[in-house]
Amino acid sequence: MKKRVVSILLTAAMAVSLLAGCGQTGSGNTASTDNGSAATTNTGSGDTGKAAADGANGKVYYLNFKPEADEAWQKLAEAYTNETGVPVTVVTAASGQYETTLQAEMAKTDAPTLFQVNGPVGLKNWIDYCYDLAGSDIANNLTSDAFALKSEDGITAGIAYVIESYGIITNVSLLEKAGYKVDDIKSFDDLKKIADDIQARKDEIGVKGAFTSAGMDGSSDWRFKTHLANLPIYYEYKADGISQTDAIKGTYLDNYKKVFDLYITDSTVDPSQLASKTGDDSENEFLNGEAVFFQNGSWEYSALSAKYSDDEIQMIPIYFGVDDANEGLCTGTENFWCVNAEASEEDIAATLDFMNWCVTSPTGTAAMADDMGFVIPFKTAAESPNAFVKQDTAITAAGKTPVSWNFTTMPSEEWKNGLGSALTAYAAGTGDWKAVETAFVDGWAKEIEANK
Amino acid sequence: MAKTKEKEIIVRKPIDNVITLILALLSLLWIYPVVMIIFNSLKVESAISTDKIFSLPIGEAFNGVANYIHGVQQMDFLQSFWYSLVITVSSVVLIILCCSMCAWYVSRVNSLVAKCIYYLCVFSMVVPFQMVMFTLSKTADSLKLNTPYNICIIYLGFGAGLAVFMFTGFMKSMPLEIEEAAMIDGCNPLQIFFKVVLPITKPTVISTAILETMWVWNDYLLPTLVLDIKKYKTIPMNIQYFRGSYGSVQMGAMMACIVITIIPIIVLYLVCQKYIIEGVVAGAVKG
Amino acid sequence: MEKAIKKYWIIFILPTMAAFLIGFVWPFIWGIYLSLNKFQTLKKVEFVGFSNYIKVFQDETFLHAFWFTALFTLVSTIVINVLAFAVAMLLTRKIRGTNVFRTVFFMPNLIGGIVLGYIWQSLLNGLLYIWDKPLLALSATEGFWGLVILMGWQQIGYMMIIYIAGLQNVSPDLIEAAQIDGASAWDVLKHVKIPMVMPSITICTFLTLTNSFKLFDQNLSLTGGEPAKNTQMLALNIYDTYYARSGAQWKGIGQAKAVVFFVIVVAISLIQLKFTRSKEVQA
Repeated sequence: MKKRVVSILLTAAMAVSLLAGCGQTGSGNTASTDNGSAATTNTGSGDTGKAAADGANGKVYYLNFKPEADEAWQKLAEAYTNETGVPVTVVTAASGQYETTLQAEMAKTDAPTLFQVNGPVGLKNWIDYCYDLAGSDIANNLTSDAFALKSEDGITAGIAYVIESYGIITNVSLLEKAGYKVDDIKSFDDLKKIADDIQARKDEIGVKGAFTSAGMDGSSDWRFKTHLANLPIYYEYKADGISQTDAIKGTYLDNYKKVFDLYITDSTVDPSQLASKTGDDSENEFLNGEAVFFQNGSWEYSALSAKYSDDEIQMIPIYFGVDDANEGLCTGTENFWCVNAEASEEDIAATLDFMNWCVTSPTGTAAMADDMGFVIPFKTAAESPNAFVKQDTAITAAGKTPVSWNFTTMPSEEWKNGLGSALTAYAAGTGDWKAVETAFVDGWAKEIEANK
Repeated sequence: MAKTKEKEIIVRKPIDNVITLILALLSLLWIYPVVMIIFNSLKVESAISTDKIFSLPIGEAFNGVANYIHGVQQMDFLQSFWYSLVITVSSVVLIILCCSMCAWYVSRVNSLVAKCIYYLCVFSMVVPFQMVMFTLSKTADSLKLNTPYNICIIYLGFGAGLAVFMFTGFMKSMPLEIEEAAMIDGCNPLQIFFKVVLPITKPTVISTAILETMWVWNDYLLPTLVLDIKKYKTIPMNIQYFRGSYGSVQMGAMMACIVITIIPIIVLYLVCQKYIIEGVVAGAVKG
Repeated sequence: MEKAIKKYWIIFILPTMAAFLIGFVWPFIWGIYLSLNKFQTLKKVEFVGFSNYIKVFQDETFLHAFWFTALFTLVSTIVINVLAFAVAMLLTRKIRGTNVFRTVFFMPNLIGGIVLGYIWQSLLNGLLYIWDKPLLALSATEGFWGLVILMGWQQIGYMMIIYIAGLQNVSPDLIEAAQIDGASAWDVLKHVKIPMVMPSITICTFLTLTNSFKLFDQNLSLTGGEPAKNTQMLALNIYDTYYARSGAQWKGIGQAKAVVFFVIVVAISLIQLKFTRSKEVQA
């Protein structure tokens, strides 16, 4: 009998907690501006828009690639809806899941109207779904025609909407505490010497290591399998005078190894732990002043500026030991907006209006510059407060050559994943460098073949 | 519970104490992972890394319920909880109702159609989901069966096999006499079904309901592909999303959400474990 | 009576059959058709005949996934059933705390595969770190055993329940008779108990076999196929081909893989049922 009473009480408690759950959900829903729910709240206001243009009857569904900018996009979408009445839904794919999400979403009837590809290789897969943007307002607004992504048939399929830089972010104060200045680092050898010294005296300086952990978790491994891997490709293309290839030779893989070795030996953690280290771990180490160097890009600015002033953080080139005297930051884009040609005419018009609004209106340009920290290649762009962007301009002005983003020519995600796995195993000591070379060189040819 | 009394009479051998000890240790091993998650959900982010996963949430590492608040707010967790609940309840109710009716037809009507339905259902039980994942999500999308409120139709379709199979197995063993008597009393088949058949089928209803609940509540791939992700996420989807979103993994918040997810289930289980365990046995014996 | 029910077919079978058609029959047939085509969304579907199937068998990752899955299924089926049976034997001795143990062992079944995977990933990585071994994502062997442990932890309780029910059905008279004839405990187990619980063994092996073979959630969250797809099982390999690889040719190959997978699962189920059922008859 007693047992029955207890069980009835428990069930009642459960029921109450569940009801409380729904109550809160309900109230959360009406006020919510979060991820998906924006769409539900916005749709109702669809007919309040005054503009009589085609786009006013359409809707926008943007599948966003950049997780770090998700919040800013949600806000911007809401602002646009409030201003024009056109419903805008922004969905952000989880890191490393963009292609998966895009494939699943494009097959639906309510497919994304605005999505993105990462360059010529990505475009090949989606060219059938790209609306020709030639002559559109946004295309005409580009500062240079070079930022338009053209297909082999000459269709303007994509528009670059952000220019970014990456390099080694340096904590200037900590570097000074160790007795060095940023100007002391002019080549790979300088970097290695200083990093080794900091690593040796880490307790004295009060850090855990020279570099933040080179985490190989999916949230962080792109820094090495994609961004760092750009350098050997860049120098090989440069040496051979080409801009893409079906068979990479891996001429500069030794330099790649040297830099990666430096990252994992002069590190805050033991290399065996790297496999489970995340992007967050690495960022937190830098924010907590546990490491002096952090390989990442200008998109990190908003996270870092919360803690450091502009003078305290400086982005330096990833010196690669090939042409250090002339090497600048890696600057380019892998973010090209494409409009889904399969969408209805109204939706396409609405999407074009939205894109144009983002890069021309004061609200849009301000959000892209301030909240997202983007430099956008449009004539109407607002100046970005991003310190890394300014540093990039200064470095280029000083006569260095920016390293272009050639990872857009990598054969596939599969290739990157193969390289990432080999790097992880190498870092942990369960695999050797030979496997990395195989993944890099043979993997390239294999993927080109498989995707023909 | 009557069994406990019987047990008291039995004389225990010394070896039984050893066995009890072994089983007790084994039980600890079974409970530990859940305890570990609860501990970690109370720790600060930096104390959840691989090298500190076994440390206790004390001192500097203790973070109170901050992870819970963060997890629930940021990921709209309560909303996911609600969607999961709606989907599970509606699907299970629909499956039980429709499939028991269908099974009664199949077990009482001796026709080619009935036989075909039965064998199709058996067949569908072994088909892996990957076989239909793309086409099923596409079908659901065209028919707009992509919200938590009507996805139960998809679950009915894909889950019908097991349920019909289990109900048919039980109903075939039921004596016809009672139903015939009701018929003579002037009941129509619907009345017979709800007044006579369904009450007798109660054990199978419970075991089927439990099996289907465990499946639907925990299902990941089907809702991921079928639901309109612009608006809806279920709990498993949300937890998977935690791993990758925002280019970072918030382990603390993720652990907190895992705890919120499994605690109600464990409580529910403790309350009605008798039915659950009997249901599993009954389901297995039928199979 | 039969006629009366037949008249009501619209109410009794139509709802289920309509949903069944939408949720299973149509997607199934369509899936077989699509495996012969090249497509990305459904805008452009190009018939390519059996070339997708040829590519499936040239795909090393698929063949590797097949052997990995087969080995995993074999090992986990044996481990789970042996342990579950052993625990069931202990729990039918009417010792103290039987109910508590039963409750505890069954509990993991209520937790979803995705969640389980992440729990065990943290736990196993923590242990491996203490033992100074490479983490889960680095070693296929560890990943394999990690999956076996995870599946064991989850499924032993479930199978145990079924075995307990089976063992409780063995008549005490039969055991007593055997004991009077001078049979040892081992003889009783081998010649009385196991043959008598053969139906339970059939159902448990069937369940563990198909569950292991079709495993997806746990695989995705525990190892994600790392390192380098070495712990990728068939279901995950298919999903990966289908959605993670961009390019028009992959979806057709993924669908063809799914058809092959389906055929294998059906074949295994049939063989297993035939095999154990035949033993049941003998007993």
